[in-house]
Amino acid sequence: MVSRATAEKPATAEELARRLHEAAEAGLAVFPVGGGRAAEMGDPPARDCIELRTTALDRVLEHSQADMVVSVEAGITLEALQAELAKSGQFLPLDPFNSPGHTIGGLLAAGWTGPLRLRYGSPRDFLIGIRVALPDGRLATAGGRVVKNVSGYDLMKLHYGALGTLGVIVAASFKVFPKPLQDVTVESAHESMVDAWVAAERALAMPMPPAAVELFSNGRVLARFLGSPDATKRMVADLGWKAVDAAAWDLHSKAAPARWARIAMPRHQLRSIVDNLGAGEQWWASPGTGIANWDVAGGADDVRAVRTAAGAAGGSVVLLAGPSEFRHDAGAWGTPPATLHLMRRLRSAFDPNHVINPGRFVV
Amino acid sequence: MPLDKAVLEELRRAVGREHVIDSSNDLRIFERDASIEGAVPDAVVLPANTAEVSSVIRVAAKHRIPVVLRGAGTGLSGGAVTVRGGIALQVTRMRRILEIDPIAQTALVEPGVVNQELSLAAASHRLFYAPDPSSQKACTIGGNAAENSGGPHCLYYGVTTNHVLGMEVVFADGSVQWVSGDAPERVGLDLCGVLVGSEGTLCAITKIKVRLLRMPPSVATLLAAFPTIEAASQAVSAVIAAGIVPAALEMMDQVCVGAVEAHYHAGYPTDAGAVLLAEVDGIPESTVELMAAVRSVLAQNQGYAMREAQSPVERDLLWAGRKGAIGALGRIKPNYYLHDGVVPRSKLPQILSAVGEIGTHYKLPVANVFHAGDGNLHPNILFDLRERDVLPQVESAGEEMLRAVVELGGALSGEHGIGLEKSAFMPWVYSPDDLDAMRRVKDAFDAHGIMNPGKIFPDPERKVPHLAGRTGLAIEAKWW
Repeated sequence: MVSRATAEKPATAEELARRLHEAAEAGLAVFPVGGGRAAEMGDPPARDCIELRTTALDRVLEHSQADMVVSVEAGITLEALQAELAKSGQFLPLDPFNSPGHTIGGLLAAGWTGPLRLRYGSPRDFLIGIRVALPDGRLATAGGRVVKNVSGYDLMKLHYGALGTLGVIVAASFKVFPKPLQDVTVESAHESMVDAWVAAERALAMPMPPAAVELFSNGRVLARFLGSPDATKRMVADLGWKAVDAAAWDLHSKAAPARWARIAMPRHQLRSIVDNLGAGEQWWASPGTGIANWDVAGGADDVRAVRTAAGAAGGSVVLLAGPSEFRHDAGAWGTPPATLHLMRRLRSAFDPNHVINPGRFVV
Repeated sequence: MPLDKAVLEELRRAVGREHVIDSSNDLRIFERDASIEGAVPDAVVLPANTAEVSSVIRVAAKHRIPVVLRGAGTGLSGGAVTVRGGIALQVTRMRRILEIDPIAQTALVEPGVVNQELSLAAASHRLFYAPDPSSQKACTIGGNAAENSGGPHCLYYGVTTNHVLGMEVVFADGSVQWVSGDAPERVGLDLCGVLVGSEGTLCAITKIKVRLLRMPPSVATLLAAFPTIEAASQAVSAVIAAGIVPAALEMMDQVCVGAVEAHYHAGYPTDAGAVLLAEVDGIPESTVELMAAVRSVLAQNQGYAMREAQSPVERDLLWAGRKGAIGALGRIKPNYYLHDGVVPRSKLPQILSAVGEIGTHYKLPVANVFHAGDGNLHPNILFDLRERDVLPQVESAGEEMLRAVVELGGALSGEHGIGLEKSAFMPWVYSPDDLDAMRRVKDAFDAHGIMNPGKIFPDPERKVPHLAGRTGLAIEAKWW
């Protein structure tokens, strides 16, 4: 067990950087926490950590409505940010599972996404600026507050999904989107999974592609169309599924298996992997993006078997949650990529003594 | 400094004798890209495949010789200029489209494939490659990935980095690796993400896997005139604020429209202070609804003489005017310096009036043609290189314009890159700590600094820029 007796909750980015530096100087390790919604992601930490909480950094720094750009501190929750954006008819197209309660910094560090990724991509596509605290006490910014920018290296990409290992995210800027003119959700239910997959593919092939299509292991398919009124009306009519309340998505976003694995495959390889999970397994999938979320009923051996098959088809299986023993046995990440030595060099350049999340990430 | 004979011999062994250029006359052809500065490489090497790229970089690494990747040489920030000498690694022999997968909607290409060739090849599957720089008839996908290029349709579809799924790259030690791929997630750090747009300073790109998109079933293109550039800027903000993200939203000022109309006869209104070119796409229902909404917002914002393309031919003509605008400017002055900067969209009126004032101050005509929806401006400073001492004036004017961009909260470059052109300005937007973080990334990938040295980072020791114009070649060359 890793004890995290000490918790720090700095009030400013500068103070957070100072605390991080003090920990580094003292030879201690830190475990950055936002909403704690992804706290079980990755391998259990290799040594005792001080909890470094970002939740006091919860301000909207600037929301320029006309520019559709927002800058926030990392500890703001996704819900608080959406409420601010909604005032001007805008939103951040991010709908992660295990909601509510995610912080923006946590979501960026963990790299979690939801059904809307099909239409809008991931934060990788709309994160336009980032500020991180480094173990040497410095604060480093990359990108900016404009929607198109090639000034210097795109460090946003390096920090996104790095679990804080190249620096603790303290602020971020996003390109945001106008609320769609029309937002319609439809569903269909199927006895056989074969029919359910066919239905999902049919929705994906509509001339105006859906913004989200989710397929569940009980044969249910949910689809969401965003766009102008006549266009969405025609898609819904052509598809002929039952209209349901948009609240279906809120309910779906609460999903959070206790032993949770994310399967990510080249889109057309997803079905063969999910089909082989076994009849009793619970899962849900986004057939348009190639991602499935698996509620692992068995043990580490099952994860390893699926991971081998996924790896052979060009994909991966990563643990998003689970008891530490389970994560330890199965390994959170699987076989590291061939470029691991370069990733290690990058980590060494920013966190040579593995002060942040030691042992938790693949690097 | 010419390369050692033994080194040249190693390079010839790597790619074949006829694919190494080292005669001073021939090397001069590779002195420049489409930017303002030039420097002659010590050798030009033209590899045929990944293995040869790797061999060349191994030779360079062994002797610590700079390696500068080069595609079509259409770059506008000096990314392909061998400012520290060394090897220009020209990838245009690697120009095969290796695969188009209509089911997965992806393409695998070599770096020398021309941007437009890919879209033409994909068209038979009703697919297209979205990033469309104005130089798309010439520029290469490898260069696009290195610079993270944009284009008019990036407003809706995103820039190059949003479309690159994975790449095969050669690192500074000659090792060959794939970064990312077809799967939506990878394990570990997103190396592909930081390599795209790294301007050849971290790796050589030898294969690129890109996403292709389904062609929209219907497209509507509208040309609208405005009395002033301020009114047009206001209209751009109003369209976006109304919740509409068009596929493209482009602006041209009066100077530009005059030149374009004289050249293309596309029916651009020459009396207008500015014109907007707006495009929406999707299924017929959505293009009808969105175009009606766009028209109404433009009309409320002083838009007039609105004309919607009635046929694909008419649409192509409207776009030919936009994409060929810069060439058409040659009617006004033989040379131009095309700048690139981004401001928050709402600051367009301010930046355009600042650009106008700077042009007036330096007595240089300026033509604006740009991606208004993104706030990505492209002032073209027009001049005649045969006039005495004009270049320092052009450079000062450009520098002042960039300064104004930064003061309005903008970025130094939206799609052309920092390269050689803007490295000295990086401290305007980034603190020493910010730049130090980028430097750490550079060192992690390229410890000995052989990959495209002298780019992106400010160089305190840099001598007075060597302007290509002084060689006398640029007077004949078409500057664009």
